[in-house]
Amino acid sequence: MLSRDEALKVCETVLDHARAAGAEDASVSLDNAVESHARFADNRITTSGRAEDLDITATVWIGRRRGAASVNDASAAALKQIANDAVQIARVSPVQREYVPTLGPLDYPADRGFAQSTAEPNLIARAKTLQGVLDACRSAKITGAGFHTARTSASATATANGNRRYFQSSRADLSVTARTADGTGSGYYSGDHFDLNRLDAQHIAKEAVNKAVMSRNPQPIEPGTYPVILEPQAVSDVLGFLTAAFDARTAEEGRSAFSAKDGKTRLGDTMFNERVNLYSDPMHAELPATPATNEGVPATQLSLVKGGVVENFTYSRYWAEEKKRQATPGPVNYILESTQAPVAMDAMIKDMKRGLLITRFWYVRLVDARTLVLTGLTRDGLWWIENGQIKNPVRNLRFNQSVLAMLAPGNVEAIGAPQRRAPYMVPPLRLSAFTFTSISDAI
Amino acid sequence: MSSPNFSRRDFLAASGVVVAGTCVPDWAAAFQPSATDDARRAEVADTALAQAAKLGASYADIRINRYRRESIGTREQQVQNVSRSTSYGFGLRVLVNGAWGFAASNVVEPAMARTIAGQAVAIAKANAILATRRATLAAGDRVVTTWTSAFKKDPFEVPLETKIAFLLKLNQTALLPRVSFVTSQLQFADEQKYFASSEGSRIVQRLVRTYPQFATTATNRETGDFQTRAVVDRAKLVGYEYVEEYPWLGDAELAGHEVVEKLTSKPVEPGRYDIVVDPSQLFLAIHESTGHSTELDRALGYEANSAGTSFIRPTDAGKLRFGSNIVNMVGDRTQPTGLATTGYDDEGVKADRWHLVRDGMFVDWQTTRELAPLVGQSKSHGCLHCDSWSSVPFPRMPNVSLQPAEKEVSLDDLFADIKRGLYVVGRGVSSIDQQRYNFQFGGAVIREIRNGKLGAMVKDAAYQSRTPDFWASCDGIGGPSLYQLWGTAADGKGEPGQINQVSHGCPPARFRNITVLNTAS
Repeated sequence: MLSRDEALKVCETVLDHARAAGAEDASVSLDNAVESHARFADNRITTSGRAEDLDITATVWIGRRRGAASVNDASAAALKQIANDAVQIARVSPVQREYVPTLGPLDYPADRGFAQSTAEPNLIARAKTLQGVLDACRSAKITGAGFHTARTSASATATANGNRRYFQSSRADLSVTARTADGTGSGYYSGDHFDLNRLDAQHIAKEAVNKAVMSRNPQPIEPGTYPVILEPQAVSDVLGFLTAAFDARTAEEGRSAFSAKDGKTRLGDTMFNERVNLYSDPMHAELPATPATNEGVPATQLSLVKGGVVENFTYSRYWAEEKKRQATPGPVNYILESTQAPVAMDAMIKDMKRGLLITRFWYVRLVDARTLVLTGLTRDGLWWIENGQIKNPVRNLRFNQSVLAMLAPGNVEAIGAPQRRAPYMVPPLRLSAFTFTSISDAI
Repeated sequence: MSSPNFSRRDFLAASGVVVAGTCVPDWAAAFQPSATDDARRAEVADTALAQAAKLGASYADIRINRYRRESIGTREQQVQNVSRSTSYGFGLRVLVNGAWGFAASNVVEPAMARTIAGQAVAIAKANAILATRRATLAAGDRVVTTWTSAFKKDPFEVPLETKIAFLLKLNQTALLPRVSFVTSQLQFADEQKYFASSEGSRIVQRLVRTYPQFATTATNRETGDFQTRAVVDRAKLVGYEYVEEYPWLGDAELAGHEVVEKLTSKPVEPGRYDIVVDPSQLFLAIHESTGHSTELDRALGYEANSAGTSFIRPTDAGKLRFGSNIVNMVGDRTQPTGLATTGYDDEGVKADRWHLVRDGMFVDWQTTRELAPLVGQSKSHGCLHCDSWSSVPFPRMPNVSLQPAEKEVSLDDLFADIKRGLYVVGRGVSSIDQQRYNFQFGGAVIREIRNGKLGAMVKDAAYQSRTPDFWASCDGIGGPSLYQLWGTAADGKGEPGQINQVSHGCPPARFRNITVLNTAS
């Protein structure tokens, strides 16, 4: 991967060409990534590969007219080409009404989300790891499928106004779907970390296999509204629809779930349970994130929801200027946690009179942007709990449920300890009500 | 509620009156194939394949592909984004001791070809310890040829200001009184592919796609309500003539009226309805319920960890009733303007057309050279595809289409005996389970059908069913003149995830006694 000096040199070369071609302002970004993976199904490897790529994007302005071009070639000719292409596009484009000058020099904290161990996984070691996973499946008479991936990237940006930044990041993932031989059970578990050495493949395989075995011969229940415990995976499967709604411009233009009557917004309203905190922190030890927003604003801790109250929307640099505010220093990740001590999963189950324990959700889609009603299905492990005990597996269900109502005051009974499911730290949740509308035959 | 009104002078200032006919000469020139380019690709291919064979590969194939893309985005009276990108590189697939390996690089040079061959073979050999059976391939033909998709006007040679003017005019047309916002985009893709295999195939292909789309939003600031009417899913394998010849402005004006009407339409009463589904929505139901369920790799469990499996089992061909006996579904990579149309797939198999469902019975699968023998077939249906030189090729959906009735059947004919029904147009929510059974789909514009006639618009409606029940309830299919081709430019599958483009043709069709939800209640 390109070092800081190498990456910034490429960017600065393009900047020089852009200026020579007439650009008055410019930003050049580079992303160099290496990805290595092994995919398995039917208890054997199906595909496996490694790919390396480089993306260089030049964005320029001439008289506030914007043009952008990208290429994946760092040769001298290509670097001159994209500068010229971007300038040519700018010359024939209309004035960009939402132009904001590129950033000047800024300080960024060191990135913490890179581990060399993830950079080039040893192929034999990876095969042995997956051998362990498949052995765990076979010995339980389970058919295993899954995906192991390790990705590292170096990103750099240089602007005509003097901003320079370079960050490295890495991420390793393993997910396993375990299906029983009789076709009536399926379990899923996953883990991810920026450090490949901290990915516990045996634990992931064991959890998936256990869920598969425990999910055999599910019984049907009537669709309806039930108390539920959502495992962290399930929470991560719906949280993105909530986090995407925090954009200030959409709310202030009257077309988001955070818009309100008479042209107002829900900023400052207690929309969520009083124990809910939702925030971003680039320095989080388990989930470190890029120390800058995608516009280059240095990222700091940013609270979106505090004690159930909507604290901040996210402002782009342009919209912040329009509204005479500061551009938001985030979010770069999302941490959902309780204001109080986390409740253990065992305690959540033990205290539940009746309800459903949910591993994950699948094919979740937005039904209504005004209320954030989502639809999707349960998958890979759904159980009925009665009087504090897991009684039996249940046939999968489709839900139609608002993620706002899910976390509303009065609906959150317990919040557990957050676990990493990048880009989130998400806890298990016990909720009073969650609505299911039909049964699915799918295993 | 307000909409931005602007004068012709504002419009001209926003669109930028510049020298007419300005193109970007370097951009266009860089993409013309040259003798140097061809020679380099042949050398890289030969080097990679020879090195792979030397290191022990029994089969290898390589894709040296160049992609260029252009994207223009606007909202109301301004341009938000114009960007162009190119990507060039190669990916090598090898089969060693029955196990696959793959490696790819953006450096298209013979020295890198040798390195990549080494990487791919090492990956295959390392993973061979986990192999429980060897991959074998159905016979393929040795092919040396070129193929280009049909287009009249290369979109990359059309001046930028022409494209911008089109989008801003479309926005202006959609921004009727009480329409608050409109966004519109033009996207173009040009794929220049070079395929070579250790069996001696050399295939050069070029594919050009054009994709206009837009969305309108109406807001009621007093009540805090808002509605959207998007027109997406119209991408095709065609050139810029699509922008010039299709009546986009008529669609834009209609969308403006519809989104305003949506804001004050009544909520749907939930219950059971007979529904007639327009091609602009039905194509998606076909995609989700039929296109994905008939992927053989899915039925074999290869996608179990991502999108799931299928309710169809590998032994079901010829035995499973899929729908009523008027339902015929065809897989087709030869269909003109289809997004998944091609000359040859990404392992050199000629584009094919075949029945997946015939007279309501499931009869055949989507296959590749590796999959075909697993269901006792000697030839692949040509479904191998990768979305980039850097992606592992794997089975992807062909265009999958519902065949029209043989005789003409009009929309009025489909409505005729419906006492209480709904007519569903355009894309809404779309969600289906991991075996392709339970689905919930919405629409962009939904109207009542009362006693055979189209009635008032309703909102907050979605229809929910189970795939075999849904297609069994199909008792009316429109005739040939109602057949339209719609498509998705963003079908996701695989790990690492890949994006495919695929079209689905169909006329409108009628389905009886379908559950309809009110999603706001």
